[in-house]
Amino acid sequence: MSGVVEVGLGRRTRRGLAVWAWAVFAFLYVPIVVLVVFSFNASSRVNIWGGFSFQWYGEALRNDVITSAIRVSLIVALVSTVVSVVLGTAVALALDRYRFRGRRALDGTVYLPIVIPDITMAVMLLVFFAEAFKFIDSFGPRFTLGISTVALSHIAFNISFVCVVVRARLDQFDRTLEEAARDLYATGWQTFRRVTLPLIMPGVAAGGLLALTLSLDDVVISAFVSGPGSTTLPVYVFSSIRRGVTPELNAISTLMLTASIALVLGSLALQRRRAGAGRQTQVL
Amino acid sequence: MTEPVAAVEIEGVTKRFDDVVAVDNVDLAIDDGEFFALLGPSGCGKTTTLRMIAGLDLPTQGSLRIFGEEVGMAPPDRRPVNTVFQAYALFPHMTVRQNIEFGLRMRRVKDPELSQRVAEAIGMVRLAGMEERRPDQLSGGQQQRVALARALVNQPKVLLLDEPLGALDLKLRQEMQQELKALQREVGITFVFVTHDQEEALAMSERIGVMSEGRLLQVGSPREIYERPSSRFVADFIGRTNLIEATVESSGTVRLANGVVIEAETSAPAGSDVAVSLRPERIRVQSRGAGVSAGASLDGEVGDVTYLGHAVVYAVTAGPTLVEVRNEGEVGEPFAVGDEVTVSWDHGAAAVIAE
Repeated sequence: MSGVVEVGLGRRTRRGLAVWAWAVFAFLYVPIVVLVVFSFNASSRVNIWGGFSFQWYGEALRNDVITSAIRVSLIVALVSTVVSVVLGTAVALALDRYRFRGRRALDGTVYLPIVIPDITMAVMLLVFFAEAFKFIDSFGPRFTLGISTVALSHIAFNISFVCVVVRARLDQFDRTLEEAARDLYATGWQTFRRVTLPLIMPGVAAGGLLALTLSLDDVVISAFVSGPGSTTLPVYVFSSIRRGVTPELNAISTLMLTASIALVLGSLALQRRRAGAGRQTQVL
Repeated sequence: MTEPVAAVEIEGVTKRFDDVVAVDNVDLAIDDGEFFALLGPSGCGKTTTLRMIAGLDLPTQGSLRIFGEEVGMAPPDRRPVNTVFQAYALFPHMTVRQNIEFGLRMRRVKDPELSQRVAEAIGMVRLAGMEERRPDQLSGGQQQRVALARALVNQPKVLLLDEPLGALDLKLRQEMQQELKALQREVGITFVFVTHDQEEALAMSERIGVMSEGRLLQVGSPREIYERPSSRFVADFIGRTNLIEATVESSGTVRLANGVVIEAETSAPAGSDVAVSLRPERIRVQSRGAGVSAGASLDGEVGDVTYLGHAVVYAVTAGPTLVEVRNEGEVGEPFAVGDEVTVSWDHGAAAVIAE
């Protein structure tokens, strides 16, 4: 007898599992589909279908409060991603290869922002800013909560995530490659630039995407540390939902969904292109 | 006439890692154009010595000169040496060509010289047609060649090789031994290579330095190292040998532990305790009573016979000592366990090791 031998589950069990799998999918995705469908609803009642229309997208994008929130979100996301990628990678490198005073303590604390609850972090940051402002104000300049405090807070938690991801990559890094580069006349900086960085790049990029997503996503911390005029999009959505779900919110949420799908697809495409050019690209 | 400058000159070099002494006060001079092997068991300090020449480790104390220039504390990019690493350490994100170009680009060598030298190096190691491949698309032997080309393209004054053939299987290793020797003759630069494989060291190098526990025990040609080991360790580590305790009688004779006096050259003073090294293949085994031609002999009894095809190894008990005898080729009458035999050797075969 040739052919595949069926092992394990009976037909009934398999059918049952398939149904279960579809149920899980439905549970995850039906709300999203409903959200997207109703964002094109011509009616102003959220739960009654009144025909297809782009009307609410127009309304949302004409709303100054919303466009300002989008702008704040994008600026904060970009700034905090760039800064935390640089700092997080630097911390990961330092922890991976140098022995210095306080290394152990840093190793333990750098991951704290990942495990402590958002709300704790938010209160901590708010108290910190209040104290810091009190101190700085005594020298003259006046600081208040605003877009810079939001960005600083996002940097604070993003560093940890970038650091974790980059360190996982560094764990597999073969240090003799750096010795080979040094032996071939590369200076310390050239070795980093030409050998170390390209090889840990998938980790750095993955850390960056994670940071970008987390920043665009954050509600709790941003709500605490933002001031007037520095409301991020998620914070705006969260606060307006208390006045009831409007079709406008559906439209904004759909836009955010599209943006994050585009981000994921973009990163996948980037990775596939690299993988075509060479091996080293499995993310982590 | 000035004396020719040594390619590598190591003087009183010691390397400590925390409390461990990896290299202990080593003095060594390697000549220009020489194929030199650093041989020893793992952990003997040979790789650390090589890494100090490369600049990847810095000596704790001592002086290290390359063609007369002190480089002991210089970073690797300031030394006229290149290294072939043990597992090759090829850059996985670069093609064969980019790997080979790396050193030249770091030195800002520009086209047309750049591409010409890269092409020469690729031709030298017979990798034409592989330029655009990545290291993971190459076999072990090909990766080895890329590593060689990547180092040699820079025209270093000294090429360092760290167990270069360790990752290859036996047949390929033997091929590469020949190839490396030919390559060294072709380029004429000094090769310093590290190995734990004594056969490889004997087969390939002009001179060998044997290391153990951080110390350089003996430096000499393969023949000197094999025939005239200066210490028990060297005698035992290089090939197989019989070490027999003995006492010096006079400058030309030693008394073996079982009382037999044999002729053997030694400079050790009379009365001192020494060991006599007898290579198994330099000893003959005969039936007791058959005429012993010349040299020295011991009577004994065959304790064990191992048939190896091209040779037969006898373990002969002669008084308190056990002698291993290796009869190659024309084996003559085979002996069996329990046979009464006489083992004999020519005068030159016994090497006296002064303690």
